[in-house]
Amino acid sequence: MSPTITVQQLSKTYQVPEREGGFGAAVRSFFKRKYKDVKAVQQVDFKIEQGEVVGFLGPNGAGKTTTLKMLSGLLHPTGGKAEVLGFTPWELRPDYLRSMTLVMGQRNRLSWDIPAADSFLLNQAIYRIPDDEYKKTYKELDELLELEPLMKKPVRNLSLGERMKCEIAAGLLHRPKVLFLDEPTIGLDITGQVRIREFLREYNKRTGATILLTSHYMADVTALCERIIIIHHGNLKYDGGISDLSKKIAPFKLIGMMLTEPDSHDLSKYGEPVQNEEDAAKKYIQVKAEDVTRVTSKLLADLPIHDITITDPPIEDVIEQAFNQ
Amino acid sequence: MYLIFQRLWQVNWAEQWQYRANMLMYLLYWLVSPIMYLAVWTSIANANGSVNGFTANDFITYYMTLLICDQVTSNIVIHIFGYKIQDGTLSGELVKPIHPMLTNALINNIAFKVLMILGFLPIWVILFFLFKPDFSSVALSGVLLSIPAMILGFFVSYMISAAITALAFWTTRVYSIHEFYFALILLFSGQFVPLPLMPKLVQDIAQYLPFQLFMYYPIQLILGKLSTEQIIQGFVSGVIWLGISTVLFNWVWKNGVKRYSAVGA
Amino acid sequence: MHTLKLLSSFFKVNVQMSLAYRADTVVNILLNLMWLGWELLSLNIIFSNTTTLGGWGFAELIALLGVFRLVNTLMMALIWPNTEKFNQSIRDGSMDYTILQPVNSMFLVTFSRITVWRIWDLILAITLIVVGINMTGDTTTALHILTFILLATTGTIVIYSLWIVLIALTFWFTKFDNNVTILHALLDSGRYPATVYPVWLRVIVTFIVPIAVATTIPLQALRGDLNLGQVAIFFFVGVGSFIIASQVWKAGLKRYSGASS
Repeated sequence: MSPTITVQQLSKTYQVPEREGGFGAAVRSFFKRKYKDVKAVQQVDFKIEQGEVVGFLGPNGAGKTTTLKMLSGLLHPTGGKAEVLGFTPWELRPDYLRSMTLVMGQRNRLSWDIPAADSFLLNQAIYRIPDDEYKKTYKELDELLELEPLMKKPVRNLSLGERMKCEIAAGLLHRPKVLFLDEPTIGLDITGQVRIREFLREYNKRTGATILLTSHYMADVTALCERIIIIHHGNLKYDGGISDLSKKIAPFKLIGMMLTEPDSHDLSKYGEPVQNEEDAAKKYIQVKAEDVTRVTSKLLADLPIHDITITDPPIEDVIEQAFNQ
Repeated sequence: MYLIFQRLWQVNWAEQWQYRANMLMYLLYWLVSPIMYLAVWTSIANANGSVNGFTANDFITYYMTLLICDQVTSNIVIHIFGYKIQDGTLSGELVKPIHPMLTNALINNIAFKVLMILGFLPIWVILFFLFKPDFSSVALSGVLLSIPAMILGFFVSYMISAAITALAFWTTRVYSIHEFYFALILLFSGQFVPLPLMPKLVQDIAQYLPFQLFMYYPIQLILGKLSTEQIIQGFVSGVIWLGISTVLFNWVWKNGVKRYSAVGA
Repeated sequence: MHTLKLLSSFFKVNVQMSLAYRADTVVNILLNLMWLGWELLSLNIIFSNTTTLGGWGFAELIALLGVFRLVNTLMMALIWPNTEKFNQSIRDGSMDYTILQPVNSMFLVTFSRITVWRIWDLILAITLIVVGINMTGDTTTALHILTFILLATTGTIVIYSLWIVLIALTFWFTKFDNNVTILHALLDSGRYPATVYPVWLRVIVTFIVPIAVATTIPLQALRGDLNLGQVAIFFFVGVGSFIIASQVWKAGLKRYSGASS
């Protein structure tokens, strides 16, 4: 059997108009526009078999979303080929659209003014789902996601996590064989993330659907995917098992601490200081995983620390470090 | 006080200038009705010689003047201010030491008006050459008198609209109320047709309403159709209506703000 | 068949939405009646001063008012709300979902919002047309009525096609929120026969923003003012504009997906 997804030499180059400041430049650009080529995806190759759950990783702007959009058919590539379920996605054949789904965590497809139940029925009509099949699928999704209590409320009154559950369910009513998920857990709290993760794992097990997902959260990927694909600056950097990856990229930990006089200590002798914009009150350093215990006890002995945390670095930083050199 | 108005002007002018593309479209929208009525009535006058004493040229000069008067006396306060009461942004303005509706919104409306008139003048000149009106009955004194008359008309119309806008403190359907008010203007101001051509009943009622101050009265003033007595009558009724509408607005506003702070929206 | 099912689904969803605003519906209908009263009064004022308006009688203007209200209903019930939804979906990116649905995207963009209570307006408009035609009396033949229906339909298609072209332009010029204002601005000109207007205005409302093609021209067919050749021309203009509009829409989608550059 041929793979569910085959991608060959897939490339996408955007032409971005270059604009200089000033009125004269604006007039000139009106007549003769200068374009700059931005290579979002460059000659990417991979194959995904039926039933696989693959994590698609890379820093912001690496080309993940562009690839996902090409595979779902929203974007035309500038070069290369892709085949999903035997279709060329960007031909947008209705048969193809009925057998896949794209869920984007930051966009909503449900109408805010009405209860999700009504939007679901509309989707039933759009995807031509027979009544009995619709009922069966809905029952299954309800079992896994506990949708029923959410169905009667207007979508605007749901919490972010509840809304995401409904969004995902709306994208799965037609039992797609291929799922493209772009940041399906973004903005959710930890419990919300876990719920979605468990659901996706169970859904994959039950239906044998092929899933390709991108995420900011390493935990999403480690929990769901056995295989990951890493893309950076539009190039494929890694394609293989997740366990091999952790060997390949040096495992680091982040130590964050709350200090009495944050700026009066030289932390660079303990590990590499890193910036954390989200939590500016704390100072962070990065150390090798095997050194964590040693460095931590030294820190606690040397410095006036109120609070100390040890975490995994964000997935983006790991990849940045591993592939940027 | 002068400084406040100057600063407010700078801010609001800059804001309105941002929306000049929208304004052009709005101008177009606003032009269609008067030109349509002009075409309808001149066609009728041409076919019948005259309508109730109005010749084709009378209609052309009437509607060409109406374009100017409507532009000066109308207001958009409901669009500037209505949503602020409903979405709660008003709170930020209430704590400032100036009256939100009589300073900021007013200046904003005037900035809008000036920009509209700037865009409208060249169009008026084009229409002048297209319709070739004969303005020989117009005298300088009438034009000069019409300036205070139109300013008076603007403030009366602004106060009434402001009072209606302030009803938003009580109801979310203030736009529907305003639509009804808009129909009243259409009926009683002379916007559709010079008032003498309206049914007798409408003319009689119009005497007791402020709406002809917005259009019919200043138009006739400019066109030199009013006697000295009628001119004085118009100004007196304008001042009276300004008094009534100011009192009305203040009453609605005060009670509205009281209600607003009680509900704590 | 499937299309009808889809339409009824859209309709149901929109009924749901409007049920949340029941009181507004009542107010809207009252205001609508008020404007109808005003329109009839203004026609009455016009015809108390003359017997014909540009060669058209009172009965014909009642029928024209009906046709105008028909076009107006189309605008109010479908075109404005869907324009708003369309512009919103371009801004927030949910257009992506529209494209990925296995249904013609032009269809989705046209019917996903329906202002349900306007059905009432539709009934009113048709009533006015029927009353107007009745009042014209014996001069109207069945053939005239048929060409009238034909041209009213094609005229509406012309306006609809212009709308599709205008919103499709958003794919090229992303900051084009004003896309349909021009249509809105000139709509009112459909209340009166375009033959009354000065030539320059008649040219604008016939060729540039073809409001008159959907209002005055079908009425002329009803009066028997048009010969067969003219009827054929307007019919093909309707068909042609629809074809052009769907091509522009397709090109817009290609532009959106980066296939054209």
